[in-house]
Amino acid sequence: MSNHTSLPPDRPAARAGTVFDIGYRSYDGVREGRGRSRRAVFKDGLRIALGLGRGGRAKLLPWLFIVVLAGIGLILALIAGAAERLGGPEAAANVPSHSDYYGIASIVLFVFAAVGAPELLCRDRREGTINLYLVRPLTGSDYIVSRWAAFLTVMLGAAWLPQIILLLGRAGGAPAPMAYLAANWLDIPKFLLAGIAMAAYAVTLAMLTASFTTRRAYASVFLVGLFAITAPFTLGLAQEIGGKTGQWISMFSLTNIPVHVNDVIFGEMSDMTEEAPARLFPASVKVAWYFAWTVLPFGVLWARYRKLTP
Amino acid sequence: MASGEILLSAEHLTKRYRDIVALNDVSFTISDGITGILGENGAGKSTAIKIFLGLVRPTSGAVTVLGEKAAENLAARARLGYMPEHDCLPSQVSAAEFLTHMAEVSGLPPKVARTRAADTLRHTGLFEERYRAIGGYSTGMKQRVKLGQALVHDPTFVFLDEPTAGLDPMGREEMLTLVRKTHREFGISVLFSSHLMADVERTCDRIIVLQGGRLVQSGEVGHFTKETETVFIEVDTNRDRLIAALEQRGVVVTLDGSGLTIEGPDESVYDRVRDALIDAEAPLRRMAPRRRALAELFERDGAA
Repeated sequence: MSNHTSLPPDRPAARAGTVFDIGYRSYDGVREGRGRSRRAVFKDGLRIALGLGRGGRAKLLPWLFIVVLAGIGLILALIAGAAERLGGPEAAANVPSHSDYYGIASIVLFVFAAVGAPELLCRDRREGTINLYLVRPLTGSDYIVSRWAAFLTVMLGAAWLPQIILLLGRAGGAPAPMAYLAANWLDIPKFLLAGIAMAAYAVTLAMLTASFTTRRAYASVFLVGLFAITAPFTLGLAQEIGGKTGQWISMFSLTNIPVHVNDVIFGEMSDMTEEAPARLFPASVKVAWYFAWTVLPFGVLWARYRKLTP
Repeated sequence: MASGEILLSAEHLTKRYRDIVALNDVSFTISDGITGILGENGAGKSTAIKIFLGLVRPTSGAVTVLGEKAAENLAARARLGYMPEHDCLPSQVSAAEFLTHMAEVSGLPPKVARTRAADTLRHTGLFEERYRAIGGYSTGMKQRVKLGQALVHDPTFVFLDEPTAGLDPMGREEMLTLVRKTHREFGISVLFSSHLMADVERTCDRIIVLQGGRLVQSGEVGHFTKETETVFIEVDTNRDRLIAALEQRGVVVTLDGSGLTIEGPDESVYDRVRDALIDAEAPLRRMAPRRRALAELFERDGAA
């Protein structure tokens, strides 16, 4: 017998309804385990980094950074297009392009990382939500790797989007767009690879910093300060001291470390590193230095979360 | 879950933090139903729960939960729920979004997670408020969200650490009703940690009492209830003659203000009281069954 009530027969049929009390329903379906848990933390990380499902203020900063970065790409594309029209291909070749973009936009990318990473880590520890993750089929390593991967995905999008705009802008501005693409198609894997280098570096350092505090502002201010201070300080000191020592001091400019790798990938100096004494080091030293500054911080970050307990 | 099936088994569990012994050679089993783990702050309740969840390794001893060692088998945690004592909720997101996310983190597919989050919020009385940011909730509502996230993936066994902490009397009553409902209607077994005797007494089928990291008592609540039964007698005159007459009949009495108390009475004691009253010529003013609080029993046993 069904558990329902019906309206009297004199009521119009369209208004008649049935109310069921279905009570508690147990779940006997599939449980997808650790893989689903990791994907859920990754997906949540994407939403936090972009402010999705949160109030307007949470959306403001990430989208502002994305718009600013895309705007830089758009401006470079417009400058290249104008140079092409006014001065021909030679003039267009002299305006900043794919190899220069990451150098120009690096400080915006670093500030984005410094502001975004604490959102992904500090809140969970400050509000105690991390305790709820660690009692589920998920380890501390799963949590931090998923969060890192989520933020890396967002940062890659933010790094690549302006390069794509720039590519389309330059191709669209060229007299023969397809011929331009055929001649410059190698820029695509180069800017994709350089984007990975930039994003992985910025994300790892920012997340490591965020792992040391529950206060988002402390992490952000510390990291922005570090990026802002090391570049002029190391450049000035390196030029003062000179020689090999000066070159090594120049290597400690945190904003330049991934830009040197960008230079290695594109095979040319960008505007940002052309005065840095570290540019004189061979490519292998620059790449090894980059990995030291990315892999080691990632190792420390992973170790901090690996044995985390509520 | 079959009634009486053992869900958790702790054998000679010891946990030391340097010089501090949080748990000291504790052994017990927990079966289907609502089990209260009772003790003062620092008694070892939270440490025990963390060991059960596999988050902390015991210094010695062994624990199996649902037939598995949670520390070695992460998948076992998909069948467990945990409601921590302290704050653990994100302030920016809605309860619906948070519970959906937690269900997915527990291994449920996204569509199922959404349905279960809505169902769980309905059962915990938050359905109408489910799209509001958790940061704007009252303490009682936050406690319900905490309970909801522990239940959203339909666990077999749920650990509730001080679920009534910070609640006003009405909120406390509602939470205890939800805890009872969790087992009786949802079929989920509960380990309920509390330092409040009254909460445990009214909610649980069995009690485990910890004191200073040691197991003081464990057993059915009904057994302890029986032990706490007393009869209070008050007479107008001849109280001393009545005491003598009762003791002559083998009835142990204690003085209680102007009256007498008989501990743990059985059916025959009432006949002996009647005969003693007649012999002592003591006019009866009042005779009534009474119950001591369980706390008194444990204080007495703990001191012994």
